[in-house]
This record gives sequence, C-alpha cells and structure tokens, in this order.
Amino acid sequence: MARLRPNLRTPTEVYAGVSVVLTAIYFALGHGSIAQSVVYDGIAVASGLAIVAGVALNRPARPLPWLLFAAGQLSFAIGDVIFDVYERLGGSPPTPSAADVFYLSGYPFIAAGLVLLIRGLGIERRLAGFVDAGIVSVAFALLQWVFLMDGPVHDQTRSVADRAVNAVAYPAGDIVLLAALAAFFITPAWRTPSYRWLAAALIMLLVADEIYGLSSDTYSSGDWVDAAYMLSYAFFAAAALHPSMRNLGVHRRQGRRRISAGRAAVLAGALLTAPAALLVQRLRGAPLDVFAVVSAAGATSLLVVARMTGIVRALEGIRVRERAARAEAEAARRQLAEQNERLREADRLKDEFVAMISHDLRTPLTSIMGFLELALDKETGPLNEEQRSYLEVVSRNSERLLRLVDDLLFAARLRSGGLELARQELDLGPIVRQACDESKPRASSHGVELVLDLAQAPPVLGDRGRLFQLLDNLISNGVKFTPEGGTVTVAVRPAGDRVALEVRDTGIGIPAAEEERLFERFFRASTAVDRQIPGTGLGLYIARAIVDAHEGTISVESEVGSGTTFRIELPAAVRAEQPAEELVR
Amino acid sequence: MNEAPLVLVADDDEDIVALVRLRLERAGLAVVVARDGESALAAARERRPRVAVLDVSMPGLDGLEVVRRLRADEATRGTGLILLTANAQEADVQRGFDAGADVYLKKPFSPAELAARVEGLLQDSGGR
Repeated sequence: MARLRPNLRTPTEVYAGVSVVLTAIYFALGHGSIAQSVVYDGIAVASGLAIVAGVALNRPARPLPWLLFAAGQLSFAIGDVIFDVYERLGGSPPTPSAADVFYLSGYPFIAAGLVLLIRGLGIERRLAGFVDAGIVSVAFALLQWVFLMDGPVHDQTRSVADRAVNAVAYPAGDIVLLAALAAFFITPAWRTPSYRWLAAALIMLLVADEIYGLSSDTYSSGDWVDAAYMLSYAFFAAAALHPSMRNLGVHRRQGRRRISAGRAAVLAGALLTAPAALLVQRLRGAPLDVFAVVSAAGATSLLVVARMTGIVRALEGIRVRERAARAEAEAARRQLAEQNERLREADRLKDEFVAMISHDLRTPLTSIMGFLELALDKETGPLNEEQRSYLEVVSRNSERLLRLVDDLLFAARLRSGGLELARQELDLGPIVRQACDESKPRASSHGVELVLDLAQAPPVLGDRGRLFQLLDNLISNGVKFTPEGGTVTVAVRPAGDRVALEVRDTGIGIPAAEEERLFERFFRASTAVDRQIPGTGLGLYIARAIVDAHEGTISVESEVGSGTTFRIELPAAVRAEQPAEELVR
Repeated sequence: MNEAPLVLVADDDEDIVALVRLRLERAGLAVVVARDGESALAAARERRPRVAVLDVSMPGLDGLEVVRRLRADEATRGTGLILLTANAQEADVQRGFDAGADVYLKKPFSPAELAARVEGLLQDSGGR
C-alpha cells in the first residue's frame, strides 16, 4: 500500500518536485520570452517566501540563519527581476548594473546564515573540522584564482567596474560560500535531510556561478545555466521546508568521530589541487601565478601540520584516558574483590555464630527435656493431674524450641555447605505414617484432624531422616495454620515416573501474591504474621532444600480462608528388573 | 560377684552429669563421674568402668580424643563407649565412629534411650 502512494507527501518533496517540473517547462518555453522570465522570477521569489514559510512551519529554536537565507534569496530574486527588466527594455544590462548590487548583497546574507548555523552546532570548538574546511577552501580559492579570476582581473580591455564585479566580487562570494559549506560538510549534521538539500542548493549556486563566470560575456536569459540557478533556489526552499531543519542549528554530541571515505577523498583532492593546477596550466601553456600556487600550497601545508598535530594530540588524549580508565577499572575490581572477601567472611562468621548459638542452646535443652522426662516418669513418684498438665505444657514448648534451634542450625548449614543425603530405596508410606503419629498429639490439642490417604506407590531414592524432617515440617505447618475443627490430609500416590506427596490443610491460606516468595529464607506469609502465629520463616526454605536435594519439585496452591496444598513430586527409584516385569505382563 | 556394673559419665555440664547419673542409678547401675577429658581418662584407667558416656566437647581432652586413647590402650580397649554431642552433623557422627565410639547420641537425648543403650552395651560385653 505504502509503496503505491505517490512519494510526494511532505512539503519539501512537493516543493522540490514542482520546481523541477517548472524548470523543465522553463526550457520548453520560448528562449528569452516573457513567460520564461515569469517562471524564473517566480521560482526565485517563491524560494525566499518558502524559506520564511518553512521557518513558520518548523519553528526552529534559532530562526535567524534561515531568515538570513530568505533575505539572501530575495536579494537574488530582486536582482533577477531587474536583470529581466533590463533585457526587456533592450538587450544585455550594463556591467555593473543595479542587478549586480542585489546579486552581490545576497552572498553576505547566505554566508552569515551558514556561519550562524555552524556556530549553533558548536563546531568552532573542533579544530579538525575547521582545518578540513580550511584545506578545501584554500584549494577552491586557488582554482578560482588560477582559472577564473587571474585572467580577467588583469584584462586591461575591461572596465575597472566590470573587473571588480565579475572577476573579483562573484568568485570571492563563491569562495566564502564554499568555505561555509565545507565547514558544514564536516559536521554530524551531514546526515540530516535538510542539510543535504541545503548542500545541494549551495553546490547548484556555485556550479551556476562558475559556469556563468566563465561565460558571462555571452550569457543571455534562457541559457542552460539558468537550470542550476533555478534548482538552487528550489533546493534552498526545500531545505527550509523539511522538518529536520529544526535540528540543523542544534548542537548534538557526536557519537564518534570518523573520517568517511567521501571526506578523505575530498581532502585528498584538495591537497592535490596546487600541483594539479600547476600541471594543467603548464600543459595548456597558460601563464601561471606562481605566487598564488605557492601561497596556496604553503597555507595547505600549514593546515595539514595543524591537522596532524590535532590528530596526535587526540591520540595522546585517548591513550591517557584509556590508561586512566584501565586503572579505574582495576581499582574497582580490587575493591569489589575486597568487598566480596569481607562479605564472605561476614557470611562465614554469621553461620559460625548460628551454629555456636544452636550448640549452646542444645545443652540447656538437654537438661530441661531430660529432667522433664524424669519428672514425668512414674518411677520418680506420683504427680497430681494439675502438675502433670503443667509439665506437659513445658515439654511441648521445649520441643518447639528444639525444633526452632534445629531449623536455624539446618538453615545455617544449608548456606555454608549444602545438603548431603544418605540415600536409599524406601517407601514413603511408613515415613508418612510415622510423621503423622508424631504430630498426632499436637494436632489433637489444636482440635485438628489428621487424615492419611495412602495409595500404592513406587519407592523413592531418599534420605529417610530428611524426608521425615520434610514431612514433619509440612504437617506441623498444616496443623499450626489450621483453625480448630479443620483437617490436615497427607496423601501419597503414584504420578507417572514420580511419586506425588500432598499435604492439604483447611487453614488460613496464603495470598497468591506471596506464593512466589514462600520458599525464601525467613519469609513469612502475611496471613501468618497478621494472626501472630509464631514461626521463623525457615520451615519451607528447608523443605525446598530437601526436595531440591532429592531432584524433586515442590509447589503450593492456596486460597486465603479455605486452605493450602503443598505438592511434592519425587522421582521414583528406578529398578533394574521393573521393565522386565512389565514385558511379562 | 553381684556388684552393680560401673558406668563412667563425663560431661562439663553439671546438670547433664546429674541427669545421666540419676537415670542410670535408677536402672541399677553404679556411676562414676568426671568433669573433663583428663579426669575421665584417669577414672577409666583406674576404675575400669564397663561403659563410658562421654561428652564430645569438654575442656582439655575432648570426648573424641578420650575415645581414641581408651581404644589404643590394651587395658581399656573393651570399654563400651557412648559419645554425646550437641553438634550432630553427619561429619561429626562419622568422626565419632572413626575414633571408635559404639554409640553416638545427639543432645538433647532421652534419658530412657541413653539408659537402654548403656544396657545394650553391657549385654554385648556380657560375661566380663
């Protein structure tokens, strides 16, 4: 679809397109006719107005350069009108004429506009750019002088005024324009469309001036050179109409400077200008202004030296910066390593501390729990019911304390060394039964029913102690978080080549948003915290570590207020004879 | 001889020594106590207990070292040895068995279980 649409959509393209068509029509009209004059002067005046329109349309931050361009273009246009009036009234205008006044005053406007644009780009800080522009300008000036100006300037048959205007003023104006264009050429603005239109306009103007300069004596309206002038007008307007003209005068950081092939070619050409001019004049047998060639070559040499100095200095700067950056990186790396070392040390100390604390807690717990056992032993002597029930509370709580100590120590060990398993082939059923039996007293004191749901399942390759710890953990969690009258169900069933273990409760549940973090160390669900249910946030962290060590998976499904299900899947132990059995069947 | 079998109990924690002693005496055993590794070793050599219950972490000689020395000595080689520890990592348990302990109990232990283990060792070493 987009391809079928005509390409002339933007004001720039429309303007340039119409102008090219008008230029073609211009040459179809009668040579020197009024119609031709109307078209030509129309294009000229329209250009100045279109630049003003472009400024209004695109609203650049700095409109002044563009208004100067408009002034320059309008000045040219007035010159054209006067020139045409001369021709209408009777042949060629005198030299110099009133038209020349307006033509010549156009150059300073355009040059000033270019200089302002370049200043806006912050280019004046870049020596390299200026030196390049200087080299190109010197080369062009030399060509202007040798091939355009030198002869006519010394041509005694022409009037002084004629020589001043045609042999000096115009070529000098062109040199100024080219210098500005060259300076522009080396900016990053080169990539913006507006810049390209502008460059095309200036090149057209220079080309037209050069051709006109070489044939000013024989020129009359309607000559082919008019095409270049008309296109120059059109492209100037096109540049102003393009939206990218806004960015043209704005300084932007250049990502990296590089010398494009085009730029290198232009510079090489500029450097070869002096010897080339020398050679051409020699071959033509034409007189040569040695002074001009020598001063151009001298100026160029100085500029090249300046350029090289700049390059060397830039390289040194890069090397210094690189060294500094490398030193900085090295320092940062060393600092990071030191920090890492400190962190590791802190982590180690913390784990050691936890291990020590848990060791030191076990010793008094041994006495507490041991003497409790002795006190509750019938052999010690009779206790009344009240005393017995008090001591049972102490006993329950010491067990809770012991579990906490165990969890802390276990978590600390997980952090410092990971988990080592003593694995053997075992059935989950008996372990589940044992874990449930041990949790029964706590469950019944909570008013929670423990339900076993065991199906025939293959054995797993597991560490009995760790799997018991895992189950005990999940079941006591279920009991802890289930209100009176609820149920905790432990189910074992086969699941493909795995064994599924589920612990379901009808408890307070876990908010969905927290399920992700549930297995993190020290994380506690908000539902547990809100109800002030005690816990360390280590149980599920440990559970996951045990499941991970068994190459299993643990997942949770929960709904706040209605219950939680933990599902664990462990790989079934592979028995060598099992496939054979299946074949028999 | 109808004398009660002698058991050595060594721990630097007074209460635990008392706990073990109480439970073992209730089981009809005679008990000699020590509060550190050196005196445990000395008591074992002098009194020749049939079973020694030793805490792993004691000042001076630790329980593991006492076990090693008792096993190295011809006179005490046959003693039944139970190690108690509050630091029951798998590696610790392994070290205990490597040193030559017969039983390894983790603190907190049940006094009844400890008594049963002592009885078991006494039966193993039967006639002596």
